[in-house]
Amino acid sequence: MADTPILVMKGIRKTFDKSVALDDVSFELNAREIHGLLGGNGAGKTTLMNILYGLYKKDSGEISLHEKKINISSPRDALHKHIGMVHQHFLQITSFTVLENIVLGTEIHNKYSMDLSVEATKIQALQNRFNLAVDLNISIGDLPMGTRQKVEILKALYRGAEILILDEPTTNLTPQEVDDLFKSLRVMVDQDLSIVFITHKLREVLSVCDRISVLRNGRNVVTLKRDEANEEAFVRGMVGDEMDIQNSVIFSRGKSGQIGAEHIRAEVCLHLDQVQLASQGSVPRLKDISFKLRHGEILGIAGVAGNGQRDLAEVILGITLPTGGKVELDAKDILAMPTNQRLESGIAYIPEDRLLDGFLPKASVAHNLILGFHRKAPYSSGGFINWNTVHRTAAELIKTYNIKTSGPSDVGGNLSGGNIQRVLIARAFSKPANLLVAHNPTRGLDIPSMDFVYSRILEEKKKGLATLLISEDLDELLLLCDRIAVLYRGELVGTLDRSKFEKYEIGRMMSGYRAEE
Amino acid sequence: MTGIETPLILYAKLILLTMVPFVLASQGTMLGGRTGVFNVAQEGIMLVSASIGFLVSFYSKSLTIGVISAMLVGGLFGLALAYFTTHLKMDQFVIGLALFFIGVGLSTLLPKLMIGVTLTPPLIPTLKDIPIPLLSKIPFIGEIFFNQNILVYGAVLVSVFLWWFLYKTSFGLSLRSTGEYPQAADSLGISVTTMRYLTAIVGGALIGIAGVYLPMVYTGTFTDGMVKGRGWLAIALTFFGGWKPINILIGSLFFAGIEVLSYKVQVSGSGIPYQFLLMLPYLATILVMVFTFKRSTIPGFLGQNYDREKRSL
Repeated sequence: MADTPILVMKGIRKTFDKSVALDDVSFELNAREIHGLLGGNGAGKTTLMNILYGLYKKDSGEISLHEKKINISSPRDALHKHIGMVHQHFLQITSFTVLENIVLGTEIHNKYSMDLSVEATKIQALQNRFNLAVDLNISIGDLPMGTRQKVEILKALYRGAEILILDEPTTNLTPQEVDDLFKSLRVMVDQDLSIVFITHKLREVLSVCDRISVLRNGRNVVTLKRDEANEEAFVRGMVGDEMDIQNSVIFSRGKSGQIGAEHIRAEVCLHLDQVQLASQGSVPRLKDISFKLRHGEILGIAGVAGNGQRDLAEVILGITLPTGGKVELDAKDILAMPTNQRLESGIAYIPEDRLLDGFLPKASVAHNLILGFHRKAPYSSGGFINWNTVHRTAAELIKTYNIKTSGPSDVGGNLSGGNIQRVLIARAFSKPANLLVAHNPTRGLDIPSMDFVYSRILEEKKKGLATLLISEDLDELLLLCDRIAVLYRGELVGTLDRSKFEKYEIGRMMSGYRAEE
Repeated sequence: MTGIETPLILYAKLILLTMVPFVLASQGTMLGGRTGVFNVAQEGIMLVSASIGFLVSFYSKSLTIGVISAMLVGGLFGLALAYFTTHLKMDQFVIGLALFFIGVGLSTLLPKLMIGVTLTPPLIPTLKDIPIPLLSKIPFIGEIFFNQNILVYGAVLVSVFLWWFLYKTSFGLSLRSTGEYPQAADSLGISVTTMRYLTAIVGGALIGIAGVYLPMVYTGTFTDGMVKGRGWLAIALTFFGGWKPINILIGSLFFAGIEVLSYKVQVSGSGIPYQFLLMLPYLATILVMVFTFKRSTIPGFLGQNYDREKRSL
């Protein structure tokens, strides 16, 4: 392996309005290597690569390719320089076929009839070479995520990419699909490609990368060869000195054997019986969902995004009404109860889409912290809001939950994603609850914030809180849950106890195979 | 020519004639929408193009120059829409409504300034029917389809051309991608801005011809508010036709049929209020949208501006 870098980025700086996303960052890519770009959320990994791909303009810094200084001001420039990028959120047009998506924007042989047979033949050759089989004539919206990922990679290869950037490519993939992806990457590197692999998952970089660079808060931390490095160094690089790694949930839970099963009580908190939700069309959105969740228990709901997770959460909260079945809270039928009463009777909710469902970006932090409880004492009396109490409580919550803000009257939209999530968690935990429904509670959070959320959930579990943890992050579920149920196309295909947790088994269930009884 | 012209033939011929402003204005709307530019100023653009096109024809004594000037006016309004929404990233509906009002205002102001108030309206000659050799001699069909004015032929050709262009060329594929998902198009090196300017201008020009058609075929002069809601109907028709050129062409036959019917009802004294008939196209559009909602063919980013560096949390 040649050690002269083919690509060098030096002194890159990028600001968005007043916030500095990248500060004097450097990056080097060697020929035929898989280079992991590791860091928590907001570390600047994607921003750095978006600059390389021409999507963002850098404020300052230099990029050189094959020892020649280059200027990339649009994705078109990047493609000309044989740089390809696979984005975390697939940039695909769902109403077009796979073939149309791949050839879009390239020179087409029969450009006045759209007979794409010449292109199809070329793509098939690529598919064989890199082991990326996809049916070209299917509408792309009908394909599962793992296959759509292959299409994204084919798009880049078809444009002659020699440097391939993959941004969080394993999001939404089952463990089996991740393995397949890693195999394909190896084939590409063997055939002279160089790959940048962006991820926040340490295990992934360790299993597939040759070299790893760590970013934190928009700065370089360290670059190490895979075999020179130990896990500890990377963890420290990602989280910095602020976090107590030894006592963290993420890095120490389970190592001592203590997982908290002793806190599970006999009383059932939430009971769903044969819950149905019919959609307007033909496919049912939820089908025969039945489970019991006990006090002090954490039940995980695993599954690839879009398999009914949101509907499940909304049925329990009463945002959506089921078309059949029963929902009981502490042995009381709550189907007739409107959402605000359910919240008052002890359900706490962390919604999936924090900006859409859980947060008012134009209201103050204090408003956001009491949202939903603002009609009740102590915040309100006789229809008037008692702002002194609100601000005092808000100030306390800001302190307890370590929310980075200038104060209770700061505008919500000024907060970063991680701090918005802290507001939602503070709100969910700020009054006594016996059931927590948390949907992707750590999506987009940095590691210390994630750990904070985990420790809060585990603490409340000790006090008897029942938690329904709906998450697309399998590692998170494996870390926290007492049981994991898998949701596939609106149905629970199986439930596993902690003693039987096995990544690949869950992965199989996520693609629709029923659990072996 | 046998000399036997049944009322049915006349009626069919009239529908084709009436179809033209609907076809052109809707194809213009559709073209812009396919890249994400949602024009809602049709009514205003048609009025101002009719007004200026008429004035230019009147003074230049040439209908051709009149049509060209209407295209330029329409294209200019399209350019303004594109500039305010792609460069300044202003709300498309707000700009569209502003352009509508500007169009309406200019359309009445300019004739007053240039011609003033006269007892007898100034007139231009109307477009003549051009029989197509041989084809126009076919019984029934020949008179209906092949003895029309040039813009009737033009409207059909434009529709077929747009279908071929959008679905059978690589440029059309790129163009459609910018309206479906501009991020995806941009990431593949397709310029969203160029596409939006291009379709907004060409679309505006088509709407301009739709406007000038009215004085050139119906009245020979410009009267205030003569577009009479056809611009708004064109938006409805675009949805009715599912943003597809051929479906829009077919849909405009239906819209034109109702317009012709409403004239007939007015003179026949049948007791059906003609306002009821004028409402039918809107009703039909709503029904079509209700029933085709699942297989919606509306461009994914219709009416939404694209900003490359905008970060989503």
